[in-house]
Amino acid sequence: MEVTLRVFRYNTETGRTKPSFDSWTLTDVDPTDRVLDLLEFVKGYHDGTLSFRRSCAHGVCGSDAMRINGRNYLACKVLVRDLNSTTITVEPIMGLKVMKDLIVDMEPFFESYRSVLPYMINDEVPADGKERLQSEAQRERFDDTTKCILCAACTTSCPSFWGDGKYVGPATIVNAHRFIFDSRDQAAGERLEILNEQGGVWRCRTAFNCTEACPREIHITQAIAEVKQAINTGKVD
Amino acid sequence: MTTLISSLRTTLAGYINYRGREGHYSFLLHRLTGLGTLLFLAIHIVDTATVYWIPELYDHAIAIYRLPIFLVGEIGLVFAVIYHGVNGLRIIYQDMVNPASWTIARQRRAARWTLILSVIIWLPAALIMLNTLLAHL
Ligand code: HEM
Ligand code: SF4
Ligand code: FES
Repeated sequence: MEVTLRVFRYNTETGRTKPSFDSWTLTDVDPTDRVLDLLEFVKGYHDGTLSFRRSCAHGVCGSDAMRINGRNYLACKVLVRDLNSTTITVEPIMGLKVMKDLIVDMEPFFESYRSVLPYMINDEVPADGKERLQSEAQRERFDDTTKCILCAACTTSCPSFWGDGKYVGPATIVNAHRFIFDSRDQAAGERLEILNEQGGVWRCRTAFNCTEACPREIHITQAIAEVKQAINTGKVD
Repeated sequence: MTTLISSLRTTLAGYINYRGREGHYSFLLHRLTGLGTLLFLAIHIVDTATVYWIPELYDHAIAIYRLPIFLVGEIGLVFAVIYHGVNGLRIIYQDMVNPASWTIARQRRAARWTLILSVIIWLPAALIMLNTLLAHL
């Protein structure tokens, strides 16, 4: 099939300092091609300066979140046929500064991620001196939020984040949830305090774009609601 | 200041250009109806206050409210209050009472039913008000 690929361009090195679109007509596209394949094809055969991030190409590393036909996806996970359109427009994710073409500055995103202590905190020696046992139910409690690959598709689809970059954003809350509800961890109180601050969970307006955008199908809005509830009740269970 | 303006630009571009699903539009409608109702209340408090401070102006204000364009606006206002209230109850239920209902399928369904229910509640009032409006013309 034939597809028109329109891509957002911005590159101070080549003098393209005014954001604009380039467009290519690709004639030999398979409906099961991924949008990433089209971008790779253009970069390889039409314009080597086209810049975007990708690493694993298999939905694992979280490098290639982009706005494709208006919605956030991983370019390596969305098939041409899923878009139901022969024109495909690719733009950078929103709310983070564009550095070059589809590449945005992810530092504010990771800074927010680090702010909620996304690692196990427990200084006690385990009962048997070796390991911290957990029941199946205790492990299941936070299973959903362990799946995050930090792609930022959720955070950059969120109206509250567009309006205020100081909002920690859904991805950060997902990763806080991962430890808050882990029975082996002991710093839930500290994280809940951080998320109860001005840029914390109360910025969530339940617009639900995050859950719709997550390539890992994490129940993000539910996780945020559970953190809100934990703050309100002071209980994590 | 520049970050304020650029985030305002991103926000408005996102509201309009991001192709969200039901949740995106119910969020927009909730914000629009909330701010619309707030605007009306603010104006209404000011014009009602004139009954005490400047009585001549009060009669003038009431006359303006009887203009057909304002009667149409009032029908819209009733929808705004109803939608905002019904959707507000949906959000409170999903977010505070039953967070497990935040699945994609259930959220989409709930957002659609919220709109349908709001229209059903609004229609009788809208018809009565439309009747009054037509009698005025
Ligand atoms: C009639 C007077 C009311 C006015 C002027 C008003 C105004 C507003 C405004 C401006 C917002 C902020 C929207 C946003 O940030 O996106 C809001 C949010 C909200 N309102 Fe109202 N509201 C009114 C009545 C109600 C009623 C009757 C309910 C429920 C029964 C309600 C429930 C809510 C809820 C739950 C939110 C939070 C929305 C969210 O977090 O997604 N409001 N309201
Ligand atoms: S929660 Fe989902 S959308 Fe958000 S960063 Fe993690 S994997 Fe990406
Ligand atoms: S390239 Fe690794 S997730 Fe898409």
